[in-house]
Amino acid sequence: MRLRDCGDARALLPEEEILTDPYQLLGVEKTASLDDIRKSYRKLAKKLHPDLNPGNKQAEEEFKQVSTAYDLLSDPDKRAKFDRGEIDATGAERPQQRFYRDFASASDHAYADASGFEDFAAGDDLFAEILRRQAQARANAPGADMHFRLAVDFLDAVNGGTMRLGVPDGGTLEVKIPAGIADAQVLRLRGKGAPGRGTGKPGDALVEVTVRPHRFFTREGDDIHVELPVTLTEAVLGGEVPVPTPTGPVMMRVPKHSNTGAVLRLKGKGVHRQGGGHGDELVRLKVMLPPAPDPELESFLAGWLAGKSYDPRRDMQP
Amino acid sequence: MTISRREFLLRARLDDGTLEAWITEEWLIPGGTRTEPAFTDADIARAALIRDLRHDLAVNDAGIGVILSLVDQMHGLRRTLADLMREMREREGERGG
Repeated sequence: MRLRDCGDARALLPEEEILTDPYQLLGVEKTASLDDIRKSYRKLAKKLHPDLNPGNKQAEEEFKQVSTAYDLLSDPDKRAKFDRGEIDATGAERPQQRFYRDFASASDHAYADASGFEDFAAGDDLFAEILRRQAQARANAPGADMHFRLAVDFLDAVNGGTMRLGVPDGGTLEVKIPAGIADAQVLRLRGKGAPGRGTGKPGDALVEVTVRPHRFFTREGDDIHVELPVTLTEAVLGGEVPVPTPTGPVMMRVPKHSNTGAVLRLKGKGVHRQGGGHGDELVRLKVMLPPAPDPELESFLAGWLAGKSYDPRRDMQP
Repeated sequence: MTISRREFLLRARLDDGTLEAWITEEWLIPGGTRTEPAFTDADIARAALIRDLRHDLAVNDAGIGVILSLVDQMHGLRRTLADLMREMREREGERGG
């Protein structure tokens, strides 16, 4: 590569002749002191910083090269390694930086300032109209959405209710829980987020709901599942038993000879459906013996021949 | 997409006190509320610019405010110019058709 003076001629270099020697990039001698290097870099950076040259693609490229060179030469350790030929000129590449100018041209940009044209606008309708539209776009910039999490009891999720949520600015937010809300569902509270700029609308509060598990109810879709213990007597002879449901206990008829595992359906006692109606509650029976041994039961069973001929494990033969 | 204060400090490589000072100076104007500011990628890029100005270009604090204000005005002018050119092209198109 041809050597060149790296002073003001740098910006005119054609692309194929991009310099890679950090000393040449910064326009300093190999023997330059750290102070000289810093001075030279500052001089170039003031000229080339992309945010001071919006719209100039070449300035960005050159700034990156100069920065890389400065990173290398301003670190005595890396500089020594480079001088000994142990690392190449890209050995100290900066992390990718997104420059401010990439954002500053967006229409709802928060820092935008078009006041520099106001005197033009006074005498020109077209300018006035353009500035008015810009100001409107900024003024209408909505506030940010805010995210919250809310743990809801199982029954509140099924039946619905109102809960209060503490928000960071010290206030509280009233959250209406619609009946039948599911775990991980997100409620959008319009206008309860961060305030907008100027006359802009406030953002929304997005509340992610976590449903706490229940002691004995579980939920599958719109149906509620519950395991209901019944006595041996109730199972064999049948009868009316109270069953808990999310809206309170109801009486359910257990048919005669109901076994463990039998599932009885309580229509409409499940979760509120979004389109209207309710799911069902599915009650799974579980026959429970009394906690203490019972001599009467034992003597009956000892003489109960039919019971002995039944093999509940016959399907489990290998 | 907004960025929390914590994440902003990490990504902009700033400490808490510096951020407070920059917000007080109005070099940075995050959205959200005072206690729960909401930052954007543009704020991160602006913080990087401020850092470059202070450290790499050795601009003093008084100068930074001036530069930011001029940079913002320049972007405003560039945008207005772009809008103006688009408007003129549209009017020319209307006349042509």
